[in-house]
Amino acid sequence: MDTVNREPAERLALLIDLERCTGCKSCEAACKQEHGLGPGEYRNKVVWASALEEEGLAFLTLTCQHCERPACLRACPVNPKAITKDAVTGIVRVDESRCTGCGECVIACPYSAMGYDPKGHHAVKCNLCEERRAEGAATTACASVCPTQAIRFGKRTELLAEAAAEGRAPRDQDHFLLGPATIYLERLPSLDAATTGRIPARIQPQDTRRPVFMDARDSQATVMKSVPAFPYGSPREEVTADRVVPGGCNICFNCCSVNFHFKGDELVRITGNDNDPLLKGRVCAKSQLTLQLYHSEHRLRHPLKRVGARGENRFERISWDQALDEIAEKLKKVRDDYGPEALAMFIGTRTGTLDGRGYTRLFAQMWGTPNKDGTDPFCGAAKSVAFELTQGRVGSGNSYTPGDIGSASLYVYIGDNQAETRPVYFGMVNDWRIRNNAKMVAVDPRLTVTASKADRWLAIRSGTDMALGLAMCQHILRNNLHDARFCSDWILGFEKWRDFILERGYTPEWAEPITGIPAAETRRLAEEIAAADGCVIFASRGINQHTNGTQTNRVLMFLAAITGNWGRRGGAYFNMTHGSPIRANAPQHRRAKINRQKVRRSPAGWTDAMLHGKPYPLRALIACNNPLAQWPGQDKVRAAFEALDLLVHIELFPNETSAYADYVLPAATGIEKGEIGRSNDDRRIVWIDKMIEPPGEAKADGWIWIELGKRLGFEDVLQERYKDTQVFWDEACIGSPLIRGCTQERLHSVPWRWVRHPVASEDAPEIETLYLEGTTAPGAPPGHRFPTASGKLEFWTDEIESKFQVLGLSALPEFYSEREQLVDLPYLEFEHNDSDAGVISPFYEPATGTSRARIVSPAEAGCGAQLRAQGFDTQLLTGRPSAAHFHSMTHYLWQAEEMWPDLFCQIHPDKATALGISDGEKVHIETDHGAIDAVAWINTGIRPDAVFVPIGWGERQPYHPWRSVNFLTDKTQRDPVSDQTNLKSLLCRVSRAAN
Amino acid sequence: MVRHDISDARLLALTGGAVAAIFAWFAVRPLLPEAWRVPGSPELYLTGIAGVALLLVPVAFVLMKRGGRSANPLGWFNAHVACSLAGMVLIAVHSGGFLRRPPALLLLALVALAVLGVWARVRGSRRMAATFSTKAPAFRVPDSATRDRLKQIIAEKRRLLQLLDPQAAEGTFSANLPHFIRHPRLAMAYRRLSREETLLLGTRQAVSAAQAWWRPLHMALAWLFVAGIAVHVITVTFFAGYVADGGPITWWHITAWGK
Repeated sequence: MDTVNREPAERLALLIDLERCTGCKSCEAACKQEHGLGPGEYRNKVVWASALEEEGLAFLTLTCQHCERPACLRACPVNPKAITKDAVTGIVRVDESRCTGCGECVIACPYSAMGYDPKGHHAVKCNLCEERRAEGAATTACASVCPTQAIRFGKRTELLAEAAAEGRAPRDQDHFLLGPATIYLERLPSLDAATTGRIPARIQPQDTRRPVFMDARDSQATVMKSVPAFPYGSPREEVTADRVVPGGCNICFNCCSVNFHFKGDELVRITGNDNDPLLKGRVCAKSQLTLQLYHSEHRLRHPLKRVGARGENRFERISWDQALDEIAEKLKKVRDDYGPEALAMFIGTRTGTLDGRGYTRLFAQMWGTPNKDGTDPFCGAAKSVAFELTQGRVGSGNSYTPGDIGSASLYVYIGDNQAETRPVYFGMVNDWRIRNNAKMVAVDPRLTVTASKADRWLAIRSGTDMALGLAMCQHILRNNLHDARFCSDWILGFEKWRDFILERGYTPEWAEPITGIPAAETRRLAEEIAAADGCVIFASRGINQHTNGTQTNRVLMFLAAITGNWGRRGGAYFNMTHGSPIRANAPQHRRAKINRQKVRRSPAGWTDAMLHGKPYPLRALIACNNPLAQWPGQDKVRAAFEALDLLVHIELFPNETSAYADYVLPAATGIEKGEIGRSNDDRRIVWIDKMIEPPGEAKADGWIWIELGKRLGFEDVLQERYKDTQVFWDEACIGSPLIRGCTQERLHSVPWRWVRHPVASEDAPEIETLYLEGTTAPGAPPGHRFPTASGKLEFWTDEIESKFQVLGLSALPEFYSEREQLVDLPYLEFEHNDSDAGVISPFYEPATGTSRARIVSPAEAGCGAQLRAQGFDTQLLTGRPSAAHFHSMTHYLWQAEEMWPDLFCQIHPDKATALGISDGEKVHIETDHGAIDAVAWINTGIRPDAVFVPIGWGERQPYHPWRSVNFLTDKTQRDPVSDQTNLKSLLCRVSRAAN
Repeated sequence: MVRHDISDARLLALTGGAVAAIFAWFAVRPLLPEAWRVPGSPELYLTGIAGVALLLVPVAFVLMKRGGRSANPLGWFNAHVACSLAGMVLIAVHSGGFLRRPPALLLLALVALAVLGVWARVRGSRRMAATFSTKAPAFRVPDSATRDRLKQIIAEKRRLLQLLDPQAAEGTFSANLPHFIRHPRLAMAYRRLSREETLLLGTRQAVSAAQAWWRPLHMALAWLFVAGIAVHVITVTFFAGYVADGGPITWWHITAWGK
């Protein structure tokens, strides 16, 4: 640094590590909470950037540099100045009471790190949380929450010494001799930098392009118009907490422990829980943004009854009694006319695990319908089936601890953008990678945030991960790179499967034209996995959301197993959440008899029954999420909902489904009702107490089901006292020996409010790594290392084979892909459609209909070829947008919309240029199933033949309404085993949108 | 810390009130006694003096803000807004509705000042807020000539500062009104160097022209207005005959030169 003033001895600073930062914007959320900043008002901001020439992403956390020669201070025309610099700490602060709002400091700061309150008309800026630290906090708000530990706070000299000790170099950014204090650490080079391969560029924040859509003026103006509800904008003394209650975040699958801060009865802040020994106070933006959920002006507050036509969104306010009485009467009529199975229940994860596996499970058992399901068939059903077949139980037995996942030498992400879907877990993995010099490889059609941190990126064609897995297995087996002892001792059906793989000729060369990955890269990755002293393979929706989802999961599981990466520390196959064995059950004698099969596992397969009454009529639906944005093939879903006799919607916010509903019931969430967090990778059950009352007349989902149950005579099972979720948990939900010890008392005995299962009793110790050699799997017979019938991992058995054959398939995973592909690949042809009863799936209880299928060779006149001939020349990928958003819930929160406003379409510059599309321009995306518009995000981090459009946006959202991406998807493309829908590989065409 | 800021809504209401008052004045003017329609009548003369008195408050705001005498710059800012608007109404009344004479340019300048000020507060504020994180220059490496010149400028500023304000540190110093009063040449030289440094940083060029230049334009217009007022006062006082152009001189004056 070429400074010209002497540095204060006690100079304080932030250190921002560009290698760790994932652009999640948690620091932005923390800053706005801490300082009560409203829309458009910043003290820090995370900038995303990329280059048109290089594949890579850069994230720059921009905040005040606390310069030695602050240009802002010198520009201030007030005398004495409204901006001052502390002679000891070097902190540059603004005295808002003296600021006249002229904006000269904003113009003068070359780092553009001077904020401005557009409503209060004054400068705002980072003061390194002086007030917060004066209250006793050790660090700044941004540093306290950072999921990746990218931000550190301290004395500048000490931070520089720390960096030097870690062998890290600070960037020189004192180009204008201002003497900035903030330290940015340079990115590390890829471990593969000296070799061939596709290395994500270590893009520097300068000279790069920022996505136009993120900061588009009109989009931001929409957010600016909103008046942020309490506590934002309130004077600090009015929102300084006097008590803290530990709990958890109820939004995503990271399940972070959080602290809820109260002043009196008012919730004033949400932070991470520093006492948590695992997460150590780290949380992403979402956990913090729930503060806006609890005070949102957009929440549903009263029961509503439709008075207009479906979709017209005209309602009258009614009482709870009227709503529940009328719904009960209409349900009885449906039951009388069509049978109890005519009621479908879609219980999305928004409602919480207690609802999905507790209250509604009891209700369905008492009522007598098998047609109850949640979002799993859209998200993770494929991996669940694959885990159950292979391991006998869903989920990895490993933990996010330094001794387990933290000890791996190789991390391979296949179809898993963990950095944005479980940001805190990724922060931990990324930290271990940096500390241990471990390698990271990402396999994904997109250069995701996860891939941007990897040493190598393999840009695979979507839907062909199975081919990659098969080719890697073939290479390992052919070259005897596998762990022969593990295979012989702990795998059932290994030889049968090995012979199949070797016979089929699934070589890396065979896979190359399918996956688009050079054979040498496939071999290299296979050899790295086989040689690694601990390799963790992460997979997720990119693997699950395909018609080959189950088989691809199995292949990748087999890959992990034959390389010895199963049942060891630092070696694992992960696929998103573990699943928790929570099941509430009504007494057998009280359950209604179910006379008919479940129409289909996936709710996407219910629409024919609603529309055409086949295989039998579904006439009523109680929906607790937003199927009119979420279910694939939206045109047909809407037609199906039009045809229902009764549609009840239980929700937090009004959305598309509400507009079609006969009754809209306002729900409670999180600390308004008390529940557990979602199931997560790490087997942690996180308890969240009820702490506040829901807004208006909104009620907890459990309350609604119990009250409805009373009107149907279920009160002896859905008991009044179960409205207390703690009672319900202890008495009805933890019957399984795997979680019997996870009682309220135990959950409340630790200040972080979570317990890692399985725990058979209250005093049973938590197990860091399950299935280690020499151990018995919890709940399994003695000597059974794995919880399968054989005690071994099961690749192939007669029983598994016979199950697959019911569906016309084999347990030996033969390659096939999707029918809508840009190259001709084998795909599934189905014997039955959703109007048929089909065959009963051997993979599910209760009896569930599915279709038989057969793998067909690609033909010139095949579906893909026909679509390509019609100009559908691009592969459409869908998925989660960013760490700040989770499905539709966050789209009602002003700050999430400020961070990620509009529905975007990520498109490669080559394709954009060819189509004459510029960044930020509105584009039209069309598939054979429907069409939508979105805003172009031109970015090199995607295959040139593909575009990516995220989920979560809807037409009736308050800030940035867009048609859901599920107008483009197709409900008929489903995995016959898991019933999981293909949401990742559809053919589309893209054009500039008409004005 | 209490900030008594004029909200956008209040500012728009105040401005709307002032505009309404002006329009109302023009609407009822034909119905008023003749004295309220004759330029320079005692009534309109006094109205003009009252308007100027109010418009002295913005001048005082500038002096207080820059002179180091104000404990409450925001209070002065608010006073400058309120008094400017009220003064504008009185000046409009003072015009007597004669808008085709040169003094009407002063009223036009006042209106332009008000429009600019309201725009800056209501719309420009959003641009100020949206500036956060939008500039790239600081993260780019400048050419060596720029860097060398910056070093020279800083050295030169430090040398000047020893004479201008020996107790001050260059990194946190900018010349203000007292410096310009005490050491005008040194202060001007220092100001020139500061401006050159700013130019080399490229910060003003990095924002939109409206955002960068509204304030210099606002200040320039204000000074033009002050100059115009001075000219007006001098001419009506010393060249009343010229101003009256053959008509009656109804206002206080020293001589009727120019008749």
